Formats: sequence, C-alpha cells, structure tokens
Amino acid sequence: MKQMLKLRNLKVVFPTDYGVIRAVESVDLDIGDRECVALVGESGCGKTVTSQSVMRLIESPPAITRVDSIWFDGREIKDLSPKEMQEIRGKDMAMIFQDAMTSLNPVMTVGNQIDEMYMRHQGDSKSEARKKTVKALELIGLPEPEARANSFPHQLSGGMRQRVLLAMAFACMPKLIIADEPTTALDVTIQAQVLKTLRGMQQGCGTALLLVTHDLSVVASIADTVYVMYAGKIVEKAPVKELFTSPYHPYTVGLMAAVPRLTDKKRKFTQIPGTVPHPARKPSGCYFHPRCEYATEQCKREMPPLQPIGQDREVRCFHPLRTGGAERE
Amino acid sequence: MSEILSMKNVSVHFPVKGGLPFFNRGVIQAVSDVSLTIRHGETFGIVGESGCGKTTLANTMIGMVKPTNGQVLFNGTDLNALPREEFKRVRRQMQMIFQDPFSSLNPRFNVYQLISEPMFIRGEDSEEAMVARVVELLELVGLSSEDLYRHPSDFSGGQRQRIGIARAISLNPSFLVCDEPVSALDVSIHAQILNLLVEIQEQLKLTYVFISHNLADVKNICDRMAVMYLGKVMESGDSDKIFRDPKHPYTQALLAAVLDTSFDERRKQAILQGDIPSPINPPVGCRFWQRCPQAMEGCKTVPPGLIGVEEDHHVACHLVNGFPNGELPQDYDRPLAKPDVRS
Repeated sequence: MKQMLKLRNLKVVFPTDYGVIRAVESVDLDIGDRECVALVGESGCGKTVTSQSVMRLIESPPAITRVDSIWFDGREIKDLSPKEMQEIRGKDMAMIFQDAMTSLNPVMTVGNQIDEMYMRHQGDSKSEARKKTVKALELIGLPEPEARANSFPHQLSGGMRQRVLLAMAFACMPKLIIADEPTTALDVTIQAQVLKTLRGMQQGCGTALLLVTHDLSVVASIADTVYVMYAGKIVEKAPVKELFTSPYHPYTVGLMAAVPRLTDKKRKFTQIPGTVPHPARKPSGCYFHPRCEYATEQCKREMPPLQPIGQDREVRCFHPLRTGGAERE
Repeated sequence: MSEILSMKNVSVHFPVKGGLPFFNRGVIQAVSDVSLTIRHGETFGIVGESGCGKTTLANTMIGMVKPTNGQVLFNGTDLNALPREEFKRVRRQMQMIFQDPFSSLNPRFNVYQLISEPMFIRGEDSEEAMVARVVELLELVGLSSEDLYRHPSDFSGGQRQRIGIARAISLNPSFLVCDEPVSALDVSIHAQILNLLVEIQEQLKLTYVFISHNLADVKNICDRMAVMYLGKVMESGDSDKIFRDPKHPYTQALLAAVLDTSFDERRKQAILQGDIPSPINPPVGCRFWQRCPQAMEGCKTVPPGLIGVEEDHHVACHLVNGFPNGELPQDYDRPLAKPDVRS
C-alpha cells in the first residue's frame, strides 16, 4: 500500500509551572492511501496534540516539538516554512473539529466560508467558487444546498453544521483529512447520519482519514487500523477487527470492557481501577502499571518497548494477553 | 410498590421573549402533557436526544421549574401548592447530581465547604458534626479525609463527580435526580461512577431518576424508563420490556443508532432522516411523523395517546394502537411517501 503519511518519533513537551508535561512521547504513525486510521485514548493522552502536530498546528513556544520525520504524500514537511505549510493546509490536508459551532465563523454565511477554500487554493472567482460550494453541500447531503449556503451557522442545527465542516474539509479533495472527535457533540441518531456521510465521502473521494476519538464504538464502525494511546505513548496498534476480537494490551482490554453495551448484565459495570496519571507526574516503568492487574516487578522498573506481535500488530507490554476478549463472559 | 413521585398531565411552556422587535414570539413547549409515576427504590430512566425536554422534566420533578399545567405529587403532596417554608423542607428529600463536574462545583470553595453547604443552609448542625459528616461522606464516595481542604481544581473529572455525589446525599435525601452524571467522563471512569451510584443506592435505599442519552447505560441501570421526543413521552414502562420489544419506531431507531463494538458484523443501521424539529412550533399530530419511517397520512393531524400494550409498557403510536375512532381524516392509514431518502 502506498504511504500517505509517515510520522516518525514525534515528541511534544510543554514546560509549565507544575513541571514538564511530556504530552507525546516517541509516537510513530503510518497512514496508507485511502486508509482510515483511528487514534483512540482518554482525555489527556496526547491524541489531539499528535494529530495537530501532523498539521504542524502546535505553536512553539510554548510547546517544544521534536520529530524525526513527517513524510506526507511523497515529501518531507517537517522543515517547511509557515507559508509553505499554509499552502498544504486545507488543500492537501484538512481538519474537521469537534465543535462545529466554535469552528465556524458566526458572522459569515457558511457559503462564504466554503467559497474561501476554492478562492484561496484553486484561484477561482467568487461565482465559480459558489457553484462548487453548492455542489459540495449537495454531495454532503444537505437539503436545499443553495438556500443553505446563504445561512449563518446559528441558523443550522448541530448535525447540519457538522456537515458543513465536512463539505469544507472535502472541498479541495485533500489527500488526508484529520477528524478530531467529529461526532462527539452530536446526538445518537445524528451521529449515525454524519458518520455514514463521512465514511461515504472518504471512500468516494479516496481520501486518507485520521480519526481522533475516545469513542470505541465510532472506531469499530468506520476505522481500518487503530492506534491506542495512553499517557502520551502508543500502547497498541492493530487492524480494527483483530483489535476488537483479541486485544493484547491490558489497557485496551479494560477500555473495551468498560464500554457499556446493550447486551450487558444488569447493574454491574466493568471498571478500570484508578485514574489516568497526571501528565507531569507519570509513574516509573510502564505508565499503566499502577492500574494493571497483571503488573510485575519488571513493569514497575522498565518501560516496555513497542514490539511487533503477529501480523501488522504492535503492542507495548511485557505480558500481552493472548486470550484478550475471550475473558469477557 | 408505592409511588414516591407522580406527574399528572404536566406541561412546561417557556415564552420566547425579547430579541428583535419583529422577531416572531412564540412558546417553547419543552414538556407537554406528560404523566408518569416513579416508585419507591427504583431507578427511573429518561432517554432522548438533546432538546427533547428531559432536563426540564427533571427540573419540574424537584420543583425547580413550575409546570404550566398539571401536578407534581411527591409522596402524595402537590409540590407547587405548598407554602414556601414547607416546600423547602420537602425539597431536602430531593437532590440532584449534575452533568458537568467542572462547572457545578464552585472553584473558590474547598471540598469541606462544597459538601457541607447544604447542611450549613439547613442550619441544624454544629461545625464538628458537619466535619464528621463530610468525612463520612467522603469515605462513602471513595475519597479520603485528606481531601477535605483541597479545591476542585486539584481533582480529576471522576473525583469531582464523586464530590458532587457526596454533596447530593449529604442531607439524606430519598429521591435523587442524576442529570447525565457520566456523559462528561472518560470511558474508564464512567463505569466507576456508575458502580458507585448503584452501591450508594443499595446502601441508602434511594430512588433515582437517571437522565441519559446513552441507551446502554439506561439498560444496565434502570428498572423503568420513559423515551422522550420533543417534549412528549413516546414509550414508557418496564425497561426490560422496552428493550426486549421496542414498539415505537423512535425507540427502535434510537436502539438501531447505537454503535456497537461487537464485531460479528458491521450492522446495517436504519438511520433516521432529518433533524429534530423546533419545539417552538411542534408538529400537530404525532411529534415524530416527519422523521418516522412508517408514518401514515393520519399521523400528521391526529396526536397519538400513550396507551398500554401490556402490563407496565405504554406506547404513543398509531401504528401500535390503531387510530382512535371518531372523526378521522380521509386516507388516514395511507403510508406517506418518503421521496427524500438519503443514502
């Protein structure tokens, strides 16, 4: 498979008054052409910082970013000037944010905001751009696209606003789209609509997708490959089906068990004990060992390496659980 | 089993005020004509999408919002007919846990002040008694006495929610409203808080009203439930019966929209079309007809009543109950064509 994005050894550090926060530690990420890769983790695990670093949106200072390579679509982009990066953003790489209300400009019609994409990146005139905008809105499944293009964001519902963001991200047919929690703010029935549109657009346009989310059920429904993050490190990487049928890392196992399901027994919820460590006070050894029921002396001393296990899979654990999901009921 | 709370034909309407002078004023029908009963010691779930009136309904239950019409009876007394002093006394029996543990705790207060505030307002306890009670509560919710003088900013989301729970049970209430208590929390903490709620309920024999948009949580924690849409109850009753055999098309759609992590198959989802209509001018007939995949001509004009289909299982749908006899419009049972089906 052709590689669309190859991120190597990304480290992001924020010096603060409370100490140094190592938000992302040595993360490698590979996204193939037309692939949907999900980055899953709880809040504060570094998934958003990772995705924004790919677009080089993390400002330095305050952050200190070190990366060996950001190889995107056949070239190295880690040393590009801000101006060159602007050419790439929106055109070759686009982003969909979680909260559509705050990421759209409230005093511009949504049509004008999408027009800007075509005018800026494709050099279209205003009228050409508007034609393309209406077409994009139609493609994304917005009823009455021409009228909707003249609406302001507050006149649209949450689901429609999220669709406008999708239309904007797909406007210039980028090669990679980064979607940061695209459906978290939506209701279940609307979430299902938007996810279906996102998946359909991604496959139709042949775009690679990096999906950042905390919601495992969203991952299960659209991703191809999954990276699980914990406290700034990748702990497991696997194709989606294998990850859900036989997770290896105890954290992944715990996370899956903790998702309440419709098939569960009454009044008993499987939980992971303890809490995520404070990013400035991470434990020694494996970051997960204080919450892990299988932890040994070795886990307390050393950080396990991310090692290959089976085909296409990697896990950062000294004692990967072969039985995985079989333990559940 | 006896009832702790019952609502009789409760409606809550909010007038739309202000705005531009030529702006159409109207009335938001947040809750309309809801009747339900909650029994002692059970967990009653309220499910629905945003804007369907679940929080307004909960606020009405504990007397924070006065109903426009109808009655709220708590242990047989009408909450809104009580004199102010009497109401305050009854109100101590009913407490609330809020959704967002970041905005529901005063950041300038320490844990002791936060949890003792209800007791302080009641004004019956000495300082020593309050400290002892707060320590006892902290231990009950899984925190320790060392946390007594720390501030909310020192705690994680899950710990803050524990403080919120401790505050809610400080006056030994019998009725607790949990308004989306876990939806702001991470997956691994989510289960911890739900388990804590179940434990506390068993220890203190509480009655819960559990508001959520997460059907899996509701299924696992609730004994009885109501599904709401645009201010109306669409289906209510025993939650096992509803989950086993959902009758209302909206309940069915909600269940189908739950994404699952089981990998037997990528399930085909029946995805609902369109958005929730505005509660300012809700549809005249069934509130759901515009999005209902099985809507009929009559659904546009004839509002369905909430009718029992089996013991403790009520549904408001013409499809299940049939149209009421009397004056019916022509072609009332002709299925509506659905031209606008998006892929």
